[in-house]
Amino acid sequence: MKNRGGGSAFKIAAFLVPVGVLFAAFFLYPFVFTLFASLTRWRGIGAMRFIGLGNFGRLLGDPTFRLAIRNNVTWALAAGFVQVPLAALVAILLARRPRGWKFLRTVYFLPNVISTVALAMVWSALYNPQYGFFNGLLKLAGFEARNFLGDPSTALLSVIVSSVLYIGYFMIILLAAAMNIPQELYEAAKIDGANAFQQEFLITVPMLRGTLVTSITLAMAYGMRHFEATFLMTGGGPAYSTTTMGIDLFLKMDALRYSEASAAGVILILLGTVVIVAIRKILGNKDPMSEAGQ
Amino acid sequence: MSGTPGSGGLRAGAALAVLLKWIVLVFFLAVAVLPLAWLVLNSFKTNLEIQSSPFSLPARPDFENYANAVALADLPRLFLNSVIVAVGTVFLNLVASSMAGFVLARESWKGRETVRTVLEAGVLVPILAFMVPYFTLVTRLGLYDKLVTLVLVYAAINVPVSIFLVTSFMRAIPKEMEEAAIIDGCSFVQRFTKVVLPLSRSGLVTAGTFCFIYAWNEFLMAMLLTSSISARTIQLGIRFFTSQFITDYAGMFAAIVLSILPSVLAYVFLHNKIIAGLTAGAVKG
Repeated sequence: MKNRGGGSAFKIAAFLVPVGVLFAAFFLYPFVFTLFASLTRWRGIGAMRFIGLGNFGRLLGDPTFRLAIRNNVTWALAAGFVQVPLAALVAILLARRPRGWKFLRTVYFLPNVISTVALAMVWSALYNPQYGFFNGLLKLAGFEARNFLGDPSTALLSVIVSSVLYIGYFMIILLAAAMNIPQELYEAAKIDGANAFQQEFLITVPMLRGTLVTSITLAMAYGMRHFEATFLMTGGGPAYSTTTMGIDLFLKMDALRYSEASAAGVILILLGTVVIVAIRKILGNKDPMSEAGQ
Repeated sequence: MSGTPGSGGLRAGAALAVLLKWIVLVFFLAVAVLPLAWLVLNSFKTNLEIQSSPFSLPARPDFENYANAVALADLPRLFLNSVIVAVGTVFLNLVASSMAGFVLARESWKGRETVRTVLEAGVLVPILAFMVPYFTLVTRLGLYDKLVTLVLVYAAINVPVSIFLVTSFMRAIPKEMEEAAIIDGCSFVQRFTKVVLPLSRSGLVTAGTFCFIYAWNEFLMAMLLTSSISARTIQLGIRFFTSQFITDYAGMFAAIVLSILPSVLAYVFLHNKIIAGLTAGAVKG
């Protein structure tokens, strides 16, 4: 086995080279680079000058960046505690295999394969004050048209709604877990006289706990890195009301403030990790990788 | 839900539960389908019809919007660029991931679990935090504004997911298959190309589909790392459509419809693989 058809250390290493190069160039190097650049003053050209934690102080004192953090937290909470529970509700309903459940499962996930650019443009059009779908409804009901995305009081909520109602991803994960629950548990509960509601609350929900914690963790981690839909629909405005850490990072980079942008990147990674660790501590010790990853 | 004999009140309650269930299911069906249906509908209306009523049907389906979109926005060029990027991404990612997956799943060596964990932990990294290093690395290597750059970046970003999918698939191959091949005189490389690779085709298709959809849909890195039309992908193209033709909403809707067709088609044909890939983790957990 060792000599015939087995891999020598050299052969094994050779097979790891392509992935190793890609991973080193686009994960490891950027990580180290970002950490390092965040501690310097640097505008993209010339030498980096080490200045310690100054960039972090400036960022955390910047009202726009603080608003960005708050908006990311709002996104994380909406994803974790609105999107995932809705996904769980639908998953529990589909796990009973109602008529057409496979078709429904497929269609619910459809928006997840469509680009954020396309969806953001469609939702911008739906919210459009002149010809949009929602203002059409408002006008039919006799109300004034609203500029949903142009009004600081409704913009954040409008973008969140356009994203959080797409439950497909977490629904698929939760549905697979729900269908994995042994049928005997329900049979036994039925014999004990539990009705359908009691069965869901006493069996399905507790059995789904691990997958739910994983889903909430992932959803919140995605919320902390939310960027695209908002960038495309409002650009972070009006008056920075919808800005996020990613958008602030992009704008700083665009203004050649590379070291501050790197510090924003470090904070983004750090807060994402904090959310993952904190949720696991609060909701239970389930390793997110053990379900989402492996 | 069925077969429980009960009073009239219980039966009314059950009927109400069924009604509520279908309200929920139909609501989310509408959420998934209505915006897209509205998009397709508008792509066949004239600009005047779009402005006058958001709900009306087109008086006569107007295919001119599609002709305009193709001609004005140089859609064929953008499409070709996106196809090159997506196909290149799938190819590079699958070659790299299947080679690494092979030694991670079918060979035992010191440090294997650590390497696998580090690679898979990459999914937890928010890539957008790396805008600065990606941009500086790419410019310094002279790779700015090239399609091949997007292939490299997208293939790399998908390494963690693909490694997970491919490795778990390759692990499930029975040991006997390889042992028989070794007795037949297969070398290390032949074990990979003749035994393990063909047997993991299904896992490769799943990983490749994820790569394709990601590469077709990606926006941020394309915006950051390219600038000219020669390296512009379809996503950037339709993004710029609005600013170019501010009044031609109908043409914009037609361009969006065309831009989503490839990933929708991939989903129509491969949705079982995609769903299986997503649930691989949940079921084992």
